[in-house]
Amino acid sequence: MDWLEEELTQALARQEPGAGFDARVRARLHRRPPQWLAVAAAILVTIGAGEAWQQYRGRVAKEQVMTAMRIAGSKLSRVQAQVKGSEQ
Amino acid sequence: MRPGRSLAIATFLAVSAAALWGQQFQFNLDHLKDKSSDHVEVSLNSSTLQFAARFMDGKDPDEAKVKKLIMGIEGIYIRSFEFKNTGAWSAADLDRVRTQLKAPEWSKIVGVKSNEDGENIEIWLRTEKGKVSGVAILASEPRELTVVNLVGNIDLESVADLGGHFGLPKIPTKK
Repeated sequence: MDWLEEELTQALARQEPGAGFDARVRARLHRRPPQWLAVAAAILVTIGAGEAWQQYRGRVAKEQVMTAMRIAGSKLSRVQAQVKGSEQ
Repeated sequence: MRPGRSLAIATFLAVSAAALWGQQFQFNLDHLKDKSSDHVEVSLNSSTLQFAARFMDGKDPDEAKVKKLIMGIEGIYIRSFEFKNTGAWSAADLDRVRTQLKAPEWSKIVGVKSNEDGENIEIWLRTEKGKVSGVAILASEPRELTVVNLVGNIDLESVADLGGHFGLPKIPTKK
């Protein structure tokens, strides 16, 4: 066995984990994030969604008002044109 | 809550509702939806109008004018229908609206009729104690029917100020 082979065998030799390694891994897997973090995230999501919904409702309401004004305006405009036409 | 107070609140609500009922008329045009090729339905009460005003850009000339105008309006209600064929709507449809526009509150201020294209437009005003409290526009063409109801203490000067915006005409106002 030459020196390289010897080095590799040593380096790749099976090593047993330390005592309690398995338990520590399992515990970390089952650890949950702090409850306050979940509550804060839920509040932020709710506030964000609420704000987005308000913005959407506002834009829809504004468009409805502008549509209403366009319809009313076009009718009034036609009346004005007719009245002007009859005066001339 | 004391019974007297409850009665007073109930009376106030009833009177307010009755007053609003007088300004706002019933369209009774739902049956035209199925016949129409296109229809627009707008129902905006006071709180929705004020809410919408918050989203209007004061720097945009059109939106700034509309924002100012809707401050005094308590409601905007519109039913507009377009039809592919003539005869889809009848005179009775408009009569049902017209019969609600009763004197002395309501008065027709202008009515135009075009024999050329069959267009007919009436503008009605509702006044209370010398102030405008409602506007009704009844517009019809052979293949179109539009009824507009603006409710509230509408400042005609503001409406007149919209002249040039969306093609709104200047309406002469009396002081």
